[in-house]
Parts: sequence; C-alpha cells; structure tokens
Amino acid sequence: MGRKKKKQMKPWCWYCNRDFDDEKILIQHQKAKHFKCHICHKKLYTGPGLAIHCMQVHKETIDGVPNAIPGRTDIELEIYGMEGIPEKDMQERRRVLEQKTQESQKKKQNQEDSDEEEEDEAGPSFQQPAAQTPATYMPPMAQPGIPPGPRAQGMPPANYSGMPPMMPGVPPMMPGMPPVMPGMPPGMMPMGGMMPPGPGMPPMMPGMPPGMPPHVARPGMPPIAQAAPVTAPGMPARPAVPAAITQSTPTKPLFPSAVQMGTGVPSTSPASTSADTQSASSKPLFPSSAQAQQTASGPSSTTSDPPKATFPAYTQATASPAAPSSSTVAKPPATVTSKPATLTTTSATSKLMHPDEDISLEERRAQLPRYQRLIPRPGQASIAAPPSGAASGMITPQQGMPPQQPGIRPPIHSQYGAPPQGMPGYMPPYGQSAPMVPPYQGAPPGPPMGMRPPVMSPGGRY
Amino acid sequence: MSLFGTSSGFGTGGTGVFGSTTTDSHNPMKDVEVTSPPDDSISCLAFSPPTMPANFLIGGSWANDVRCWEVQDNGQTVPKAQQMHTGPVLDVCWSDDSSKVFTASCDKTAKMWDLNSNQAMQIAQHDGPIKAIHWIKAPNYSCVMTGSWDKTLKFWDTRSPNPMMSLQMPERCYCADVVYPMAVVATAERGLIVYQLENQPSEFRRIDSPLKHQHRCVAIFKDKQNKPTGFALGSIEGRVAIHYINPPNPAKDNFTFKCHRSNGTNNSTPQDIYAVNAIAFHPVHGTLATVGSDGRFSFWDKDARTKLKTSEQLDQPITACCFNHNGNIFAYASSYDWSKGHEYYNPQKKNYIFLRNAAEELKPRNKK
Repeated sequence: MGRKKKKQMKPWCWYCNRDFDDEKILIQHQKAKHFKCHICHKKLYTGPGLAIHCMQVHKETIDGVPNAIPGRTDIELEIYGMEGIPEKDMQERRRVLEQKTQESQKKKQNQEDSDEEEEDEAGPSFQQPAAQTPATYMPPMAQPGIPPGPRAQGMPPANYSGMPPMMPGVPPMMPGMPPVMPGMPPGMMPMGGMMPPGPGMPPMMPGMPPGMPPHVARPGMPPIAQAAPVTAPGMPARPAVPAAITQSTPTKPLFPSAVQMGTGVPSTSPASTSADTQSASSKPLFPSSAQAQQTASGPSSTTSDPPKATFPAYTQATASPAAPSSSTVAKPPATVTSKPATLTTTSATSKLMHPDEDISLEERRAQLPRYQRLIPRPGQASIAAPPSGAASGMITPQQGMPPQQPGIRPPIHSQYGAPPQGMPGYMPPYGQSAPMVPPYQGAPPGPPMGMRPPVMSPGGRY
Repeated sequence: MSLFGTSSGFGTGGTGVFGSTTTDSHNPMKDVEVTSPPDDSISCLAFSPPTMPANFLIGGSWANDVRCWEVQDNGQTVPKAQQMHTGPVLDVCWSDDSSKVFTASCDKTAKMWDLNSNQAMQIAQHDGPIKAIHWIKAPNYSCVMTGSWDKTLKFWDTRSPNPMMSLQMPERCYCADVVYPMAVVATAERGLIVYQLENQPSEFRRIDSPLKHQHRCVAIFKDKQNKPTGFALGSIEGRVAIHYINPPNPAKDNFTFKCHRSNGTNNSTPQDIYAVNAIAFHPVHGTLATVGSDGRFSFWDKDARTKLKTSEQLDQPITACCFNHNGNIFAYASSYDWSKGHEYYNPQKKNYIFLRNAAEELKPRNKK
C-alpha cells in the first residue's frame, strides 16, 4: 500500500509510534491527539501549526507535542501523516518492523505477535524499542557525542504510554533529553547539509506565517509552509529544522500533486532563469541589453504556462514555489480559494475585501463626480498656461474626454472661492476654473468668460 | 533618539481626550497624531531625505491638497505649508536635495513645489491621472519620472515642457518605486516591468507577476551593499511577493507571504482578505512594513521570513505609510481607501496620520 519507495510499511505515528491501517486514520489520530490545542480544542494539522496557533490565538507557548513519547515531542518538526518523518526514524522503524516480522515468524506466538504487529499502543515489544530508540535519538542528533546505546536501553519503556518504566535508567536518561533537543537544530545541520543559516530559508518558500496558522498544513507544502510559521515566533533554532526536513525531502517526494507542481515549476523556470543567473550571476544589476533580451525570452517561456483556473496550475504559473502556499488558503483538498488571474472571488473560506472590478480602488474613486469637479476639461488650455507666464507649465494636448470625467460641473460657482485660497503663488485666481466651465455649462460667470481666451491662447500649443 | 518621549500629549492634542473617554479605535496603537490632517483620504506620505536635518513630512490627499508638516524631535508636528492641485493628489516625492517636492495628481499634472519660496509650478502633463511620481538622480542626469493611467511612463526635466523621454507601458501604471539605478513599475492586469536607469531610462525586463491579483503597491529593497536588488510587491489579495531581480536561486529566494487577513484561525467562517495598500522598507534595517485595508500595519523581516509585529486594528483602512530617512519614525495614514465601495465612505470621518517610533520594532530577527 502506498508508494513503494517511501513507505513500505503501514502508516505509523511518529509521535507515539502507533500503527494505523490507513494514512487518513493516522492523520485523524495525529490531529486529535497531537495537534489539538489544549485550550480551545481546535485541531491543527501539524506541530508547528499548533505552536503558532497557541502563540497567536492564546498567546501561549507550547513546549512539545501533546501525547507524544519522549524523544518525539519536537514541536518544530513538521510532520503530517507520514510526511516529514526524519529519514533516520523511518529507517529505524523499518528495522524495527523487520525485526518484528522476523520475530513473529520465528516465534509463532500468535498472542505476542498480534500484540506486536497490530496497531496497538505498545507497538513493538520491549526489545524492539531498544533497537528503535537509539535511532530515535540518532537522527536528530547526528552527533556521536551522545552515546545512545546505554541510554536507548533505558528509554524504550518510557516511550510507550502505559508501559511501566522497565528500567530505572530512564529517569536519568530524561535529563539527557533536553540537551538533546536544543542540540537538534545544530545536529540537523550536518544532517541537513544545507544548513547555512541564510540559505536555510530558501526551502521554505511559501510561507510567511501571517494569518494562516490553521492553513499551514497543506500537503505538499507542510515542510515548507510550516517552516515559515516555524520561524514566525522568531526562535533561532527554527530555521534549522525546516531546512533539515526539506533536506530529507529530496529523497522522498512530497505529496504527489505537489511533486508535479514542484517539478513543473522548476522545469520551466530554471530554463529561463538559469540563463539569467548564468549570465548575470556576478554581474551588476542590469547586464547588457543582450542579456536582457535573453532573459526576456526566458520569462516568456514560463508564461507559456498560462495561469489556469486550477490549483496546481496556479503553482506552476508562478516561477516561485510561493504559489503553493498562497493557493493553499484552504485545506489541502480541492477547496481552492485561490483566484487564478481572475479578480476577486468569494469562496466558502475567504472573501476578498475589494470591489469586484478590474480597476484599482483609486480609479474607482476618481470616477466619482465629487473628485472631478476641478479637473480641467479636455479642450481647455491646461492650467499650466496662465498668462502670468509661469512658463514651465507643460502644455500638452489633452486628447479627448478623459474617461474619468463624466461632465458634472454644477458646483462650478463654488470653485471660484477655492482657487484663491488654494493656489498660493501659482494659479491665477481665475485660471483654474475658468477653462473648465465655458464649453460645458452655459452658466459660467462673466469674468471667467472674458478671461478664458487669454488662457487659451498660450495653451494653444495643443 | 528621544523622538517622542513623553510627549504623546502634544501629538494627540485635543483628540487625546476623545481617545481616553471613548473606546474608539481610531488610534489603538496610541501613536502620535499629526496635527491638521487633510480633510479627505490620504493617498501618499513622504519624509524628507537625509539632506535635510529636520524631519518634514509631506502628505497628499483626495482633498486635492498636499500638506507639509515639520516633525520635531519631541513628537510635535507643526503644519508648515500647503499646496493645491485641481484634482486628488495621488503621489508625492522629494528631490534628493530636500528643496523640492513633486506632486502628482488626478488632474493629469505633476507639480514641482519649491519649499523655500512656497511656489509650485507644473512640470508634467499626461493624458490621464498621474499615479506615481519619483525623483531620479543619476550621475549624468536628473529627472522626474511619472507613471500615469494613460499607460505611459514619462521622464521630465523640470525645466522643459516636453518630456525627456516617454515609454509606453502595457497597461495603466498602478504603482512604482525608484532606487537608482533600478525602477520598477507595476501596472494593471498584473503587469510588472523593471527599468534600468543608467545612462538613460530603458526597459530592462518584464516580469511575470508572482501574484495572482491586482497589483497595488511596490517597494524596492537593497542588499547589504546598499544596491537595489529586488522589490516587494503587494496585491489586493492580502499578499506580498518578495522578488529578487537576479537571485542565485529564484525558486528558493523569491517567495510570497500572506498578510492583512482576518479570521485566520477559524476555518468555519470565511477569511476576510484585505488589500495591501502600501509597503515601505526601513532604510537602515532592511525590514519592511505593510499597511492594509484591514486597518492594521505589520512589520516583517524578509530575510528571516518572519513577521515582527502586527498592530491592533484601526477603525479605518491604512492607506499610506513611510519611514523617515533614518528609520526612527514610521508614519501611517488612517483613512478610507474605497475598499468597500462608496457606500462605506463617510466624508465626515476624520482622517489621521500617525507617527510611531520605529527604531526598535523593526530590528531584524536573528536568523540561524
């Protein structure tokens, strides 16, 4: 079941080592047991998501994943179902399972075997844990500094909820854990390999945490999107974690849809951008025009992925993986709230606070009559040509009726009061309103009429 | 710098009483209020450049006026002067020597306001409202760049009535930013063009928009060597894209993040998504501020990819923001931006400009 490469085994919960029939059930379990807010009982999707939720909503910090076995309480590790499980733990688990199956074959003790094999709490037997736990600690640490062997022996019993601690060695071990945890991020670094602090970020493209704690758990993006929220609280260790996670992802693709997207995007964009970067990597900001043309052709190739009205295409259309996180406003499944290339939509999960039009807010507002009162009409000399000769006024022809002026001029009269006060040192008192009035209203007061011609003539350079 | 000290009283002036007796949320952040704000929505704010020792704030509004305040170190704001256009003012900018202010208006003109003489004269003319105006100071030339809804980008030597150069754009200019030698213009229909300004302005690259919604604001950021290296682009969909011009790894370096949304945690109620009205980068720290239609401002660290702070919600959208030249003051304007249509416009509602001490809150996060 499932993908061969990734997990030949049944889905199991990294946090508590329980087995499940189906990944869906596993996810339900995780949501209910490990990613549930203890304050408001809201179910999140991942550990970091829960941490962020508690921080933002309740202003509380969380130290570890609830109901997790010791050693698996890292709140910063982005695990969703079977995704995000550190490779070491996966291997460890596989080893354990193999041992289990061997054992069950050997022993033929149905009772014991079924206990071990089935999705029971205990999971593997006590002996298994011994083998397993070292791996539990090893992956995060990757530091031989902590001898896992003896510790591991003591750990296992404590790892299983409900299992009475078998070895008194456990408690002493526990204190050993905290140092392990902080060590994790740096430990992850060597493991991750791509940890240089700054570049550690890049894998996490999409996500600024801002308003989306619950939405964080998008399949395909959890490691990435979560990584951003992970950094939101600003803990220095965080960046290391996501990077480490993503480090392991190259070997196991993310969710299939994301894989397609992810591969789709790089396939198009690098083609174009690689040309850019190759030619412009160490160059000044604006390379020669030749390269500019070269790069110009690049983007055009990416535009061949027209933004389709679908979720994946939204991701593809953009050269950056930022798209996935943005499109995943809703949950992983198809409730796509992203509005590809079309304006505003109101969906079940989001509403854009913007009028449904293809014009900007300012354009919309500028069309209103109240804002067009004083704007010179076409055909008039532009204001800039007062006879007083504030010469540098630019007078270029006004062509046609500007779309924003539906021709409402009733309040003209009031304008005469306005210019004097409003035009210190620049506008001749009449100049402003006069041009507008005459051609359109019969009602312009006399003086402006008389004044208009002088205004018009200098403006004659249409 | 004891910018505001204990002088909140000064700034809030008479309205301080209101703030305390009622639970009005016009200033939930308790920031300094600028005195004599404009009578209609504020469209743009600009602080004086470093060449001026004092802080002067220019604000353009839909009341057709451009106002100038002096912002004193104790937080007191003194209105200094005002100029008028014949249409709403959409953008303002300073010349590099702090002597002139350029204003762009719906009346299709741009003016140069000489602060010393308090005279303003027209220096530019378009066929449509001018939405963006920037001063360009190059080694071999200086000019004013204006972007208009008439789909042209024009460059003006202020001494001549004709533009030095006029570049055609695919669509109406919605926002622009200039940090020599780079200029970026975002247009309608999600157009995005980068210009290079060396020698003379020329189109450098048209970029596929990283965003899926209408572009609303853009701001260029610089790298550690103080060279412009990319820009932040905000859309009406509560999202900002950080885009580098020549990143080593575009897929990794460019990203977008969501902001200015509500109901984030509750999946059952629809999430309200607000437009990002303006973006400003802190001149020293390189962190950025975004202000949105939701009436909040947020500070972000784009390198650590984290949010630094989000404000309380004001009762009106925040329409403009800017930092002063040394990054100690963050100014933001609270006024209606038309995001809910004209039905929600209340001409009686007061518009505010707030000043906040920005020296501490915008420090970057330590990233690992």
